Amino acid sequence: MTRRQRAIAFFVTLCVLLVAAAVALIVGWVIINAERATPLVFGIISFALIIAGLIVYTVFLVLEIKRNEDHDTFINAVTHELKTPIASMRLYLQTLQSRDVDDVRRREFYEIMLADADRLHHTVEQVLKAGASGQKAKIVERAPVDLAPLVAECVRLARVRHHLSTDAIALEAHDDHTLIVKGDVEDLRTVVTNLLDNAVKYSGDRVKVTVSVAAPAPNTVWVRVQDQGVGIPRKQLKRIFNRFYRVQARAIKQVKGTGLGLYIVRSIAKSHGGRVFAQSEGEGHGATFTLELPRLAS
Amino acid sequence: MSRILIVEDEEHIADGLRYNLIAEGHEATVASDGESALDLLLGQRQPFDAILLDVMLPGKDGFAVASELRAAGQYVPILMLTARDSAEDVLRGFEAGADDYLPKPFELSILIARVHGLLRRLRWSGQDLAAGGGAAPDAPARDVYAFAGRTLDFGAMEVRVRDKDAHRLTVMECDLLRYLVKNAGQPVSRRAILQEVWGLHEGVDTRAIDNFIVRLRRYIEDRPASPKFLQTVRGVGYRFVPQP
Repeated sequence: MTRRQRAIAFFVTLCVLLVAAAVALIVGWVIINAERATPLVFGIISFALIIAGLIVYTVFLVLEIKRNEDHDTFINAVTHELKTPIASMRLYLQTLQSRDVDDVRRREFYEIMLADADRLHHTVEQVLKAGASGQKAKIVERAPVDLAPLVAECVRLARVRHHLSTDAIALEAHDDHTLIVKGDVEDLRTVVTNLLDNAVKYSGDRVKVTVSVAAPAPNTVWVRVQDQGVGIPRKQLKRIFNRFYRVQARAIKQVKGTGLGLYIVRSIAKSHGGRVFAQSEGEGHGATFTLELPRLAS
Repeated sequence: MSRILIVEDEEHIADGLRYNLIAEGHEATVASDGESALDLLLGQRQPFDAILLDVMLPGKDGFAVASELRAAGQYVPILMLTARDSAEDVLRGFEAGADDYLPKPFELSILIARVHGLLRRLRWSGQDLAAGGGAAPDAPARDVYAFAGRTLDFGAMEVRVRDKDAHRLTVMECDLLRYLVKNAGQPVSRRAILQEVWGLHEGVDTRAIDNFIVRLRRYIEDRPASPKFLQTVRGVGYRFVPQP
């Protein structure tokens, strides 16, 4: 049992004991005041309130303990995600500084350092965006956005970023300029990019991702990202969108991340009046993420 | 030339370390997770002289790799590399059997110096064993302390009780024993041990030391449960008494 599970077990047991004590007191009260209506009703209501209070209090406590743990995981993950590229860049810079490195190697080192700088930049961006999407009063520039070309652009960039072929990320979209939504271009690009990066990240060596943009109903637009990767245990399909949450499964422990990507996706989807949801047949069966946005009447 | 195993899942850092170790004239092999590192080490086809061990590894982490290795009776010097540098993590690494640690990001020159430090100690102790006690040319004067039929050989990093087989010590255990011996007869506090032996100044649970003491007692005491040489001083810490 982990420390968290022990803490939860303790508080739940405490709650059950206190509720049992309160129930015993109610019974006693009923027996003593069986013939007097006013104290009987008053007593029963008070005890019921106490019991309700105990239960609400325990539920909040347990949720808070869980949140705390997610927060700890986040701090660990971010520490790792920030320090690793810095450690790598320093290592290569000090190598270049202290050794005679031939030209071919030198160029290779520059490539590696650039990739590290990109990784660091990506982490910092995710943290900043997660912070920004927590603030409701954000003023967004909303304009009509043609979704199909935007998704096509994101797919193209993702292929380049992950060194993948056209087959690895296939795009199904009818580019007839009718799938228009009202929104912020940058935010929408972030959503699609985060979903694509996740699909690639959780696919291991065999990346087979299908992306589609379609209108399932006259007034909605779907962007769907489907992968054949590690999948998601059913019980966790909703929690994955929580801030700092990371799927607890053996196959996924190897994949590093901050637990912010999908939280950002959900926040942006909500702020655009839409929603995002995940489907998976369970571990090892891949996952499908669907972003649903209101369509702008053309 | 020494053979060094790099256990690191971050490809960039692993490659950078390998490049530098090769430039220093060593042979370097990379294992990208704990399981494959243990396969290489316990398979023993090619023994290694030192290990650079990352803590956050997929699957089995660095702590687990170090303790499994020690449990299997392998005393290859381990230098732990970790992005988590809280005192708790450092102590956990030492408990698992690491000989030294470096927080990430690290200074390349310091890393190389630490690796050479570990290799040097290995050479002294290795030659000690091979030559039946004859010190290596670059080793310091023999650093041995004897009491009540026990011999603490700090150079070779081992403890011998009478004529029984020697116990190998990690660098950390060695340093702690040396400190206790230096202050023989006087009580030393847990905080002093943390600060003066391991250079940890952070507010850390000083009870972490107790596990080390338990291990040292197993090495030198006849009955570790009722220790004679390594006594607990209630409310203070510990006292080493060579002649109880």
